[in-house]
Amino acid sequence: MSLLDALHNEWYRVEGVAGPDDERRRLLDLGITPGEELAVVQSVPLGDPLVVMVRGMRLALRRREAGWISIQ
Amino acid sequence: MHSIEVAPGASNSEAQQVLDSPETRSHPSTVCLAGAPNAGKTALMNALTGGNFHTANYPGVTVTLSRGKSKAEFGPQLLLVDLPGVHSTSAVSPEEELSCRVIEGRHHSVIPDALIVAVDATQLERHLRFASLVARQHKPMVIALTMMDLLPRTQQSVNVRKLEAALGVPVVPVDGRTGWGAADLMNTLRDALASPAIGHSALADLPEEPVSAYESIRKLLTGSEALKNTNRFQLVRDSVTARIDHVVLHRIFGFPIFFAILVGLFSSIFWAARPFMNLIDWLFSQTAHLLLAILPAGVLSRFLAEGVVGGVGAVAVFFPQIVILFFLMTLLEDSGYLARGAALVDRPLSYLGLHGRSFVPMLSGFACAIPAVLAARTIPSRRERLLTIWILPLMSCSARLPVYALLLGALLPGAAWKAGLALGAIYISSLLIGALVAGLISRLILRKRSASLLAMEMPAYRKPLLKPTLRVTWSRASAYLRRAGTPILVISSCLWLLSNFGLGSHQPATAENARAPLIASSNLDHSFAADLGQVLEPTLHPMGVDWRVGVGLISAFAAREVFVSTMAIVFHVAEDQDARQNSLLENMRAATFAGSSQRIFTTSTILGLIVFFFFSLQCLSTVAVVRSETNSWRFAGLQLLFYTGIGYVLSSALVVSLRLLGMD
Repeated sequence: MSLLDALHNEWYRVEGVAGPDDERRRLLDLGITPGEELAVVQSVPLGDPLVVMVRGMRLALRRREAGWISIQ
Repeated sequence: MHSIEVAPGASNSEAQQVLDSPETRSHPSTVCLAGAPNAGKTALMNALTGGNFHTANYPGVTVTLSRGKSKAEFGPQLLLVDLPGVHSTSAVSPEEELSCRVIEGRHHSVIPDALIVAVDATQLERHLRFASLVARQHKPMVIALTMMDLLPRTQQSVNVRKLEAALGVPVVPVDGRTGWGAADLMNTLRDALASPAIGHSALADLPEEPVSAYESIRKLLTGSEALKNTNRFQLVRDSVTARIDHVVLHRIFGFPIFFAILVGLFSSIFWAARPFMNLIDWLFSQTAHLLLAILPAGVLSRFLAEGVVGGVGAVAVFFPQIVILFFLMTLLEDSGYLARGAALVDRPLSYLGLHGRSFVPMLSGFACAIPAVLAARTIPSRRERLLTIWILPLMSCSARLPVYALLLGALLPGAAWKAGLALGAIYISSLLIGALVAGLISRLILRKRSASLLAMEMPAYRKPLLKPTLRVTWSRASAYLRRAGTPILVISSCLWLLSNFGLGSHQPATAENARAPLIASSNLDHSFAADLGQVLEPTLHPMGVDWRVGVGLISAFAAREVFVSTMAIVFHVAEDQDARQNSLLENMRAATFAGSSQRIFTTSTILGLIVFFFFSLQCLSTVAVVRSETNSWRFAGLQLLFYTGIGYVLSSALVVSLRLLGMD
């Protein structure tokens, strides 16, 4: 499933990262790599972006970006 | 690292100027500070140089390459250069490009002899991955381990000796905000510079590809027991940051809190700045009087007193507002809230073709467009950055405030609350119209939507410390003065000359004339400015005003508020002796077109002028800064024509249609 379907404050394992090359590379550079654990920790009033905790960092991701990240 | 072609306009001229000086190339050794955004790099720069540098808790605030010499207490001087934070070597902003160029030794003037890499101890994996890219350059390097005080909050512990052994690179824990560990860092750096051979290290040998790099880093950290993570997954719910986020990003309270903070910010800009503005106003007018008194009466003394001191003073009165804005913004940045604000408004802004990071420039634009244009540098995509710069002149900057105050005073006499409400409406409209312009341009002109990545770090909340905040405020404010000061000085001098000299004008430098508070009356009628105003008069007819208001509109290009002082001059001058005693407002109300009894300032013309000031880009300093930031005269010129044209057309249309409806 995609990160968009994740329950809040639950840990998931990243399965893969899709998206255009540059953007995908940037997400990988930020540490969202397959096998890594992450959790959605907060959503913002308008529902977008989501705040994701990964490798000790809180990262605001737009829903579009979160949709590229598949988790299990 | 990837090689990145440098787009035109990517490098900023100010940094270039600073760095092109010859000392950069020769001794002392050049040491660059690198790191991911928010690693505490700039605070470290402060501690090492004892100088004034920009430090903040908002990712990516180092907007220029700042440099300084190391403090004397750390031994022989080193030249330190602070590089903008780098998230990743792909899809980068101009700032990140600049950093990559310097780190890879591709920059034409800054060639590092050694590097300090700031690494956030609470996010070792991510920051060490960046450090490994730096280590690949095989230059002497030291890792400065920051944010050690936040480790207990994240339930981690780091063993520095084990980390150093595992990486094969010296590691020194520091706290840039207090200066703790700085001396140690400098000693280690000196040792690294002195040792000739830079062999391989575990850090430099990490793979470049991110997935395997992260895997290796984790193995390195756990295998060496450098990092102990007592409860890796618990921090989600229980940390201080999570609890604050639950409140400030709350589904219902999030936006009210956001707006309350903004209202607080703006009201303090206006109220707290007032006494300082009065003081500066008084100081400049005293200086002008003093100059007139001590210098021999003549053109030169008047030029200095009125053109230079008066002109610069008209702009300098806004300096307190800018200082207070910078102070409060720095507080918000350092606390970590500003990144939340940007996240809150990312959705509506991205709908308009802007970016969450456009929020900070837009906010600054309500004080002054110049720092706002500079702040747009942190926006990664060029398209979004240019669109943000394009709408910044619409944000109701504080130079418009005295103009609106005068015009609303004339429009709504004796009802301060009505004028206040109208002013509030003007401010909100400026934001809404800015949104409309951005939305229209991004939909109609920039149709190709290459949506960019947000991926913005929300830093941990920290209590800002007063001293660093004040230091940063001062460094930003003085950078603003340097940046804006020169064009303001040049433009106000030119405008003074235009308003005081003309074909066939004589300079009657009588003592009485010389002591007149501003531009001497008898010259104005025959000046180039008056000629220009009279040439322009036909074009002013649709706006329902005469050449005297036209002179005011032209002079306002130095700075919008100059309109007020010009009005004071032209309407004192034109009236008879009795009118001189009257206040400006009464004079304006009584003013008529030459040779007729038709009044100039009526409901429709005042509304027209308000609309003109609302849209028109009457600020040549902004044009100059936009030019240097976009590296394009076309962009800056087009922007000037666009807004001034819209202002003129809408203002004329309003006046003509109100008159058709029977309003005077």
